[in-house]
Amino acid sequence: MWGGAAVAPEDRLDAAQTRAVLGRTLRMARPYARTGAAAFACVLATTACSLAGPVLVRHGIDAGIRVRDAGALNAAVAGYVLVTLAAYASGRLQHLYLNRTGEGFLRDLRLRVFRRLQAQSLAYYDRNKAGVLVSRMTADVESMGELIQWGLLQFVASGILLVGSFAVAVTLSWQLTLVVLLVFPVLVAASVKFQRDSNVAYLRVRERVGQNLSTLQEGITAVRVIQAYAQEAAQVARFRRTNRALFDAHVGSIRVSTWYFGLVELAGVLATALIVGLGGWLVHRGDVSIGTVVAFVLLVASLFEPVQQLSQLYNSVQSAAAALRKLFAILDAEPEIDEAPGAIDLPARGALEVRGATFAYAGGPPALIDVSITVADGERVALVGPTGAGKSTLAKLMARLYDPGEGVVTFGGVDLRHATLGSLRERIVVVPQEGFLFDGSIRDNVRIARAEATDAEVAEAFARIGALEHFEDLPDGLDTQVHERGSRLSAGERQLVALARAALVDPAVLVLDEATSNLDPGTEAEVERALERLMNGRSVVVVAHRLSTVRRADRIAVVHGAHLAEVGTHDELLARGGRYAALSTSVGTP
Amino acid sequence: MSTAAPQVDPDAPSGSAAAAEERAAPERTSGWSLLWATLSRQRVALGAAVGVGLVWTAAKVTIPQLTKAAIDRAIARDGSLATWTAIIASAGVVTGLFTATRRYLAFRESRLTETLMREELHAHVQRLHARFHDLAQTGQLMSRASSDLNQVQQFVVMIPITLSNIAQILAVAVVLFLSDPVLAAVALLPLPFINVASRRFTRRIHSAVMQVQAEQAQLAAVVEESVSGIRVIKGFGAERVQYDKLAREAEDIRTVSLRAARIRSGFLPAIDLLPSAGLVAVLGLGGHRVLAGRLSVGDLVAFNVYLTMLVWPLRNIGMLVALGQRAAAALERVREVLDTVPAIASPAVPRALPRPGVGAPVGRVELARVRFGYDPTRPVLRDVSLVVEPGTSLAIVGATASGKSTIVRLLLRFYDVDSGHVRLDGIDVRHLDLAELRRAVGVVFEETLLFHDTVRANVAFAVPDAPDDVVERAARLAGAHDFIVGLPQGYDTVVGERGYSLSGGQRQRIAIARAIVADPRVLVLDDATSAVDPTKELEIREAMRTVMTGRTTIVIAHRPATVALADRIALLDGGVIADVGTHDELVSRSERYREVLAASAVPDGSDASDATDAAGVG
Repeated sequence: MWGGAAVAPEDRLDAAQTRAVLGRTLRMARPYARTGAAAFACVLATTACSLAGPVLVRHGIDAGIRVRDAGALNAAVAGYVLVTLAAYASGRLQHLYLNRTGEGFLRDLRLRVFRRLQAQSLAYYDRNKAGVLVSRMTADVESMGELIQWGLLQFVASGILLVGSFAVAVTLSWQLTLVVLLVFPVLVAASVKFQRDSNVAYLRVRERVGQNLSTLQEGITAVRVIQAYAQEAAQVARFRRTNRALFDAHVGSIRVSTWYFGLVELAGVLATALIVGLGGWLVHRGDVSIGTVVAFVLLVASLFEPVQQLSQLYNSVQSAAAALRKLFAILDAEPEIDEAPGAIDLPARGALEVRGATFAYAGGPPALIDVSITVADGERVALVGPTGAGKSTLAKLMARLYDPGEGVVTFGGVDLRHATLGSLRERIVVVPQEGFLFDGSIRDNVRIARAEATDAEVAEAFARIGALEHFEDLPDGLDTQVHERGSRLSAGERQLVALARAALVDPAVLVLDEATSNLDPGTEAEVERALERLMNGRSVVVVAHRLSTVRRADRIAVVHGAHLAEVGTHDELLARGGRYAALSTSVGTP
Repeated sequence: MSTAAPQVDPDAPSGSAAAAEERAAPERTSGWSLLWATLSRQRVALGAAVGVGLVWTAAKVTIPQLTKAAIDRAIARDGSLATWTAIIASAGVVTGLFTATRRYLAFRESRLTETLMREELHAHVQRLHARFHDLAQTGQLMSRASSDLNQVQQFVVMIPITLSNIAQILAVAVVLFLSDPVLAAVALLPLPFINVASRRFTRRIHSAVMQVQAEQAQLAAVVEESVSGIRVIKGFGAERVQYDKLAREAEDIRTVSLRAARIRSGFLPAIDLLPSAGLVAVLGLGGHRVLAGRLSVGDLVAFNVYLTMLVWPLRNIGMLVALGQRAAAALERVREVLDTVPAIASPAVPRALPRPGVGAPVGRVELARVRFGYDPTRPVLRDVSLVVEPGTSLAIVGATASGKSTIVRLLLRFYDVDSGHVRLDGIDVRHLDLAELRRAVGVVFEETLLFHDTVRANVAFAVPDAPDDVVERAARLAGAHDFIVGLPQGYDTVVGERGYSLSGGQRQRIAIARAIVADPRVLVLDDATSAVDPTKELEIREAMRTVMTGRTTIVIAHRPATVALADRIALLDGGVIADVGTHDELVSRSERYREVLAASAVPDGSDASDATDAAGVG
């Protein structure tokens, strides 16, 4: 009724799509077929009970009161008591069964969608906005949950009640049914119009809620700029505009429902008036009994209410169907990087070789063109070059975070595309720029790298990079909870955790993306030391931003404009007098 | 500086606080009085809603009486059916009309309450000092203004509706007792339980729903970290770990959702059961009373209709109590924000800045023995004194977190110093009108915030009614004009979060243009080049050089070439000004200066040329 669901025109499903979504939903819900059927049976029973009420009242009046038969009246009352209790019982059960079915289905849906998302390659994450993926898994599924809790049952029950009421009405008196039909079409037409108008109105409200919230958020996050330029009054005026626009949208949607609810009330009373008026005339003619008229007065509610319910729920059901369709689309997307059939384990050690690799991000210009480079076992190679030249991309190809468009990447002579993903992640480990932390303890965060690692192994990993003492000194040691993206830990500590992860895996190749931001000098030194210990005895590819890192490399590869411009030792490249030489001498001055 | 200090000192710290207290809204005793203040502005429309609701009640209660009369008189005896039909139908028109009007007024006024309170909240937040914003989380303020006020709205809408509901319950009870007291007593007996049950239900379901939401939030957190941490997950093949986490959360959601479902399954059928019990009583007891000749069939029907009529009002009243409790909690949270007194405010009697062009040149900035810490026990600035003469420029250089930006914030009076003075043209900033001070100091922040608006509006931000040619001239000076005219709609292109996205360098130049339009006597460039791609830095620097000419300018920078734009350089280290001089002087005599500059050199190609530039300047 208020803030109801709405579905955007572009999300509305046509008949074929609706059938497809419905069919697939039913297939997915098959494990819950029994509880689902039980829920449906309960809905039928509840509806039958609520329809029996007016019929029993009619019986009590016509067979009991009118003919002064106390026995028949008592029988009707007893029947009414039974029906009421039965309605209560089946009402309870239908809620329980329906929710059990629905929640089970939603849990499965969440798991399947999540598993499929996780199987996708990084390229998929580049193409799809993180916010959209998150909202598919959260808002979209939640809106379906609400529908299950409140709407779906009502939707189904309303349909059944509507059909059942008509059946009862026709059985009781076709003449009075015709009377009801005088008003009924008006209600149906009004409901259809309401459903459409309210959809438009809600969409507008939703859009303006969004605009208003972002103006508000802008006002809060930009408060320093606003105050710095003494523009508080202008901001207040700006917010007032979007806020009033939202208010107008609300009033618009209130108008839509105002006339509708007025009309519904009018139609109900009008139907009653007609039943009493025309029904009375029919009673005089002896065509219907007075009990039938009374039963019809009571039936009007169960004829009119379902129509209202259906019109209000229609939008919710539509938007749930649209959400389901988007979720199914995620399930249908095949992962790009997957284990090849008959994949083999990578050898324990070997050279990492890139041959003729060309790569472009989806829809973008080539990020790498025909790049070939070999990193010998145990060698350290620094990748340098301007921002956007392709050095990070090259590093990612080396760890098979992406597959090259052309060319090949091998380790120990095995094409990475033919390697098992398990062995790949054990041999080649990427340590990203920023130490990304997951919710949980420090220990859990290191264990991300190897779920089955024991506590001792985790501690050993920290010890190996010389950071065990640092973390054991924390009040809860390695069990310290990191909270909200590690806000409790400093940037340097987050880096150390990321390095400990790599140490836990103990890979043959380490791919490092060096942080650009500066740490405070104390931690900086600690991270440097940890890094040095971690690199010891492994092949290392480092995307370098600092001169000191570059100097420590065995060889330096200069990436420029998607090409590998030059490769060599520091001295060789200096002697050559190319790009690196120019770069190096200028930085070296202070 | 020592001459001015004694005159200023006595009232400096206390003046602003006193002014702030004067301006503070009168202390509100509770959230309710806050709501009351807003509602009293809407009393006419709300009164109308209540009045209309009462008329509706009257018509609604009359209809079953009319139906009864029709059944008893018309059907049973005479033939005045058409008349009765017409009377019932017109009563239907009245109820239809009035229910619509009541609904319209109730909803519109409740939305208006929400709207007005949101504006008040927003305006207040705009006035609050920086320290408040440091501590407040954006998300929390947002939820004050959205979900909390929504709860208030849900309560307010119930007020007129509840009043007519109460009237309806009373009227029905009176009618029923008048027609048959015994039957009325029996039939009405189960109904109060609806009220009790729905109050209980609303309370229990609320806590269950909160649990469901909490679990959903936990699942969302797992999804969120799995999406943003996908590189780590992929890098270590940790999909299984995250999947197991998610499976736990999904199962938790299922469990708590089913708990909520059990609560609903206990309540909703019972709500249907209770009136049915009344109806059974009416049919049984009432039927026998009709048989005994004490009641008419029409009465029986009327009893039936009245009982079903009471179900919703009773449920609503039950809900109102729970909604009221929630609204009270929400109002309390809103009040907390509104009762926060702005700690930084204009003094009661501000002093005026000397006008430019009259007498001495303006734009002199002076910090005298300034001590300041965000946490006063841990000062960031221990004892900072420096002077920037009118028309000259000063670069402040220091390591990360050395307090460079803090100096700017003190100059803007985002914070007040713990001791010492910040003066603009000889006047302590605490003695100036805030708006005048902030108009006199223009800042280009490290991160450029563009508003969701046209480029023109963003450039003209400080002077919203600036003529187009002023805006364009500023954009030209800032080196932004050329790319702006290349945008899809030129100066009318909408930018910002949901608009056309600009590069870091373009945003920065718009920010510089923004400062030029403001035409401040003191310009502050706070790390204006740090967020920019090195290849674009040169253009920004050109823009900066143009703008700085002849204007007092404070530059905060890491990159040597940017630092070199300034006439003089102050090295901030350990909370004091360690050294002041030209770039050459500092390079030759300060080891620390060389260290700080070297720390920011990166082998990215273009920065290398910066270093050469910097060296070349000397």
